[in-house]
Amino acid sequence: MWQPKMSLNRRRFLATTALGAAAAATGSLAMTSVLLAQGAAVKLGVLHPVTGALSYSGQQGRLGATMAIADINAAGGIKSLRGTKIDAILGDAQSTPQGGTAEVEKMNAAGAAGIVGGYASSICLAVSQAAARYNLPYVVDVGVADSIVKRGLKNTFRFGPGFGVIAKTALDNLVAINDQAGKPAKTVIIVHEDSLFGSGLAKLLNAQLPAKGFQILDTIAHPTPTRDFSTIVLKIKARNPDLVIPANYYNEYVLLARTMREQHVRLKGIYSVLGGAASSYKFVHDFPEAARYIMDCNHWFNPHSEKALALKKKVEAGGHYFTYEVYMNYSAVELIADAFERAASTDRDKVIAALASSTFSGHIMPYGPTKFVDGQNQGAAPVNTQVLDNDIKVVMPPQFANAKPVFPMPA
Amino acid sequence: MKGFLLIAIVVAAFAAVPLVVHSNVTLNFLVVALLIALAGQGWNVLGGYGGQYSFGHAAFFGTGAYVTAVLQMRYGVNAWIGFAAGIAAGSAVGAIVGTLAFRAGLRSSYFALVTLAFAEVLRILASVAPITGAGVGMLIKLDLRAQSFQFQSRALFYLVILALVAVALVTAQMLERSRFGAWLIAVRENEDAAMALGVDAFSIKLGAMVLSAAITAAAGGFYAQYFLFVDAGIAYGTWISIEALLTPVIGGVGTVFGPLVGALAAKSLGEGAKLVTGDVPGLDLMIYGAMLVLVIRFVPHGIVGAFADVSDRIKRRVLAARAPAREAVHG
Repeated sequence: MWQPKMSLNRRRFLATTALGAAAAATGSLAMTSVLLAQGAAVKLGVLHPVTGALSYSGQQGRLGATMAIADINAAGGIKSLRGTKIDAILGDAQSTPQGGTAEVEKMNAAGAAGIVGGYASSICLAVSQAAARYNLPYVVDVGVADSIVKRGLKNTFRFGPGFGVIAKTALDNLVAINDQAGKPAKTVIIVHEDSLFGSGLAKLLNAQLPAKGFQILDTIAHPTPTRDFSTIVLKIKARNPDLVIPANYYNEYVLLARTMREQHVRLKGIYSVLGGAASSYKFVHDFPEAARYIMDCNHWFNPHSEKALALKKKVEAGGHYFTYEVYMNYSAVELIADAFERAASTDRDKVIAALASSTFSGHIMPYGPTKFVDGQNQGAAPVNTQVLDNDIKVVMPPQFANAKPVFPMPA
Repeated sequence: MKGFLLIAIVVAAFAAVPLVVHSNVTLNFLVVALLIALAGQGWNVLGGYGGQYSFGHAAFFGTGAYVTAVLQMRYGVNAWIGFAAGIAAGSAVGAIVGTLAFRAGLRSSYFALVTLAFAEVLRILASVAPITGAGVGMLIKLDLRAQSFQFQSRALFYLVILALVAVALVTAQMLERSRFGAWLIAVRENEDAAMALGVDAFSIKLGAMVLSAAITAAAGGFYAQYFLFVDAGIAYGTWISIEALLTPVIGGVGTVFGPLVGALAAKSLGEGAKLVTGDVPGLDLMIYGAMLVLVIRFVPHGIVGAFADVSDRIKRRVLAARAPAREAVHG
């Protein structure tokens, strides 16, 4: 009975394979994932890991970028280009550097005037190099590795802060918060994921925390994904630190925080640096008990910005959480759109020059004046947040704060 | 000679691609497919011809990648020399893993698990050792010059990986025709019987492991030069062990062209699925997975194996048709 079906499936398989091979041979793969240009629209590559281990963050990033494009288009497009609209060329890095590189090739072939996104540092590194081959302007959305903008690539720009600035701010703020509370925290355990982001951060913290008067009891690495934190939490419980500093992505962060709560680990604080979930409304909504009083030094929007609050409302109305991927991508797209506006052109050299000399303002981030040095925005800085009253409040720095820190956290 | 001629024709046809195709999208696609084919051919030497199914070829791929990167970035060694050293180091890891596993008499699933364990150990070591950049990984400096094993043109990268695949194809073809290859296949078919006939199974398997590791390490070294970044997850992650294993399974285990056909089919299938699904995240991967299941279910000997099966069936029918005629003549 199944014989004819088998033969049909085989034919189908071969037909699909042949289709793919033929498409590859003719170069028509460039058309995949491409929203075709309408007229003379400015094509912008929107590249995220929307499948694979980082898919949630990637999809959030894509959401932010496409919302920015929609808003810019609704506001009249690029005015210096006679109201030309921006068309998104969507790409999926599949959570791998090679996936990101392949998408850059497609975007370049499709005539992209620039690329925004990447999310993970390893993807950003690969994407920036692939884009540099074509002098294709690239705005990093999140990737925080300092090496992304320290290789002399003229095409690569990062609007947000890098590791160095984030770690310094996090440490300074930790010391300030601890000092204000009478120095209750003295010992620390760092739990980090073992790729570029977590390990880089752990290295920095290990180098700098002792000088700030903290004793590091242990540094525990884990892979992404990790689906069981019982052993790690038992280890934490046995060492009984005052502070736990997690540095991992969303799923692992949630699991770690929940496991610590379940195993009644008594801490004076959970202080994250770029905590994957600590500054996430989804985490606060889904696991309010585990999230309570967690502090984080992370990317955040300006809580005093009307524009940011309006965007938050719009994102939430769409059934999504207003995560850092959303507003960082929103801002990255606004930055490159501003560069198109200033350059009055989509010529790659002119756009890169416009980005390099950008003084982009009126954005939704809590940053100082925009000024790029070697591709890094010098005005970018993280803020400290804390989960208070089932909400996420900014507690540092004072000019952007909308609450005071609660430390040590009540038992 | 027929086999070598076919390899020459196939390689020549592939070499002509950059003359007619100038799309970097296509060239990048082919480079990645050939890279996976190379790693798959490495697995095929040991798993296909030797019957030793490894789940840990990442150990060799990663060593090739890391040695290539570390020698350049930490010690200023020329990239080409680093690449050669990466292949040598991958072979050395193969020799160590092979000696330990085969000396202990590990076979089938036990061997598979041990290779997986070695790859995992190396991944963890690479994610903490300062020399590999720990979890931060190794970034190779962008230096688009031939002497740095970096090219502005994707076509040159393509020709380099094609040359490596050609060497791997010739190696597999030689293996099929050599005494060493015959011994290796004998070990695969029945190790005890082969040993009873005087075949030194340990040495044969070890030799295959070293050769297999060298080919896979070459793929790793090339990866490092092409993407200019390696970290523990990329170099020693299970993804490459699976890719190296899947391509010969799809294309045809224990056949010269199996890994190449498998890699092209799998990658084309992935891209074909993307063409069909557009921008819906993950749908292409679901279709890709479903198609793989169908292929493995209905073409158990792989694509090349299926062609061979059909060819055998036709030959048998022709012979069967001739036999009564002969009997009638002689009767």
